[in-house]
Amino acid sequence: MSELGIHALVLAVYLLLLVGIGLLAARRMRSSEDFYLGGRSVGPWVTSLSFVAAYFSSVVIIGGGGFGYRFGMSTLWIGATNVLIGVTLAWMVLGRRIRLFTGRLGTMTVPGFLAERFRAKEARVLAALVIGLFLIIYNVSILKGMGHAFEGLMEIPYTTGVLLAGAIIILYVSLGGYLAVVWTGFFQAWVMGVGLILLTVVALKAAGGLTAANTALQAVSPGLVHTPGEWGWAGLISYAMIVSFGVWGMPQLMVRFYSIKSTSVLRVGTVVATVGGSMAVLPYLDGAIARVLHPGLSNADLAIPTLTKAVLSPWGSALFLAGVIAAGMSTFASVLIITSGAVVRDLVQKGLGRELSERRAVRYSRIVSAVVGLVSLAIALRPPALVLVLTAFSWAAIASTCLWPMLFGLYWKRATRWGVLASMGGGLVTALVWIGIGSPYGVHGFIPGLAVGLVAMIVVSAVTERLPEDHIARVWGGSPDENGTPASTL
Amino acid sequence: MAPFETPWLTFVAWIVIAGSVVMAILWSVLRKPTENDR
Repeated sequence: MSELGIHALVLAVYLLLLVGIGLLAARRMRSSEDFYLGGRSVGPWVTSLSFVAAYFSSVVIIGGGGFGYRFGMSTLWIGATNVLIGVTLAWMVLGRRIRLFTGRLGTMTVPGFLAERFRAKEARVLAALVIGLFLIIYNVSILKGMGHAFEGLMEIPYTTGVLLAGAIIILYVSLGGYLAVVWTGFFQAWVMGVGLILLTVVALKAAGGLTAANTALQAVSPGLVHTPGEWGWAGLISYAMIVSFGVWGMPQLMVRFYSIKSTSVLRVGTVVATVGGSMAVLPYLDGAIARVLHPGLSNADLAIPTLTKAVLSPWGSALFLAGVIAAGMSTFASVLIITSGAVVRDLVQKGLGRELSERRAVRYSRIVSAVVGLVSLAIALRPPALVLVLTAFSWAAIASTCLWPMLFGLYWKRATRWGVLASMGGGLVTALVWIGIGSPYGVHGFIPGLAVGLVAMIVVSAVTERLPEDHIARVWGGSPDENGTPASTL
Repeated sequence: MAPFETPWLTFVAWIVIAGSVVMAILWSVLRKPTENDR
């Protein structure tokens, strides 16, 4: 069989499987809680691996490999902070309280949680607008990453690749909703993991082992093995923070905790997510190895496709391509359902006050998922030149808006409605302005956005009126004692 | 130099990853369930 034939066969089987999962999930869906949260019934393995699949997209595999190629082994730190802050600590610190609080408040979305927790309608609308707008930008870059993977590995034209992947995702998300997203995500995490491990093992062997790779990189430039090396502290820390701590404010990842069956899921889930999330380090390592084996590439983003073609057999590279496509599709699908939730639940139903029956809400959600997907697809066909910059831009905007309100909403009873609005507005505006003036000192807008959001939350909350004790008591799951102090069991 | 001819500060990244796995296991084994766990 020709190489192209093998790629096409593996891909066709894989895509059919995804559509099959979407159809199965569609049969189990009756209400909008089913569409957005899978009826809060998801177990530890599926939750944790679909979290990993939604976290790491094609942008991370191809772009991460590009960073490894350009900056060398110091980029392993990005993988390490992804695992520690983006996965393990996120699960330990956020998981349990998010599940308990959103269950008590009966909310299904991140904007919904902020609105109910802080009794702030404006927070819902602001968060929904920011999520709707900036996640579409993120969608475009994910599709672009997949299109380039098709182009580089399968010699399919970019547009055909984007259309094929986009159409399949839109189909299974609008059919199967959240359950389709988490089940396909679970399956895709395995495909990604196997693909990345396979490439790493074979590439290490080709380079003569890790010691030989490090020695060879050292000979090219010592900066390629030292930390912070050629990148410098400002760039390395900014980037590591945005893709690790940023997770704490990203709704497509936080929603995983809303949907778990019970908080006991977190026990096994945290371990599985951490082990699975460790694959984050591999694209960076592979990129650095590619620098040894293929010096002088014109574009660092070609590092992973070039390495794959050189060291893997046609079957191996077909599997790896499926892994990259899996990474892109699972993230795109997760983002799609969150965007649809922001539009239908938070803007139309709650923001505009439109009453919708459960059946109609599900139908609208399906339509909005399809429309948002198609809009992203249309933009991705002729992507703006700066799309990779826009990825970091969209994460910075969303996380600067939502991160502190989520965290303080879970841990600080004294946080007030005005504190949260000041934090959201201040964080967002600061991040956007900082990026707009060209990211001074090489620091990404996310960092000043976070700093301003934090100060605004604490200072404004301290001088504005507290939320009523009985409300806080309800959220924290206790009833107020005779002094009006909530009897918290947390 | 740390193992595999890696500079120490770079090698710590591997330790952080291994440490995260150990921490997750310890947390999930040692954490006491509360009455709020459902």
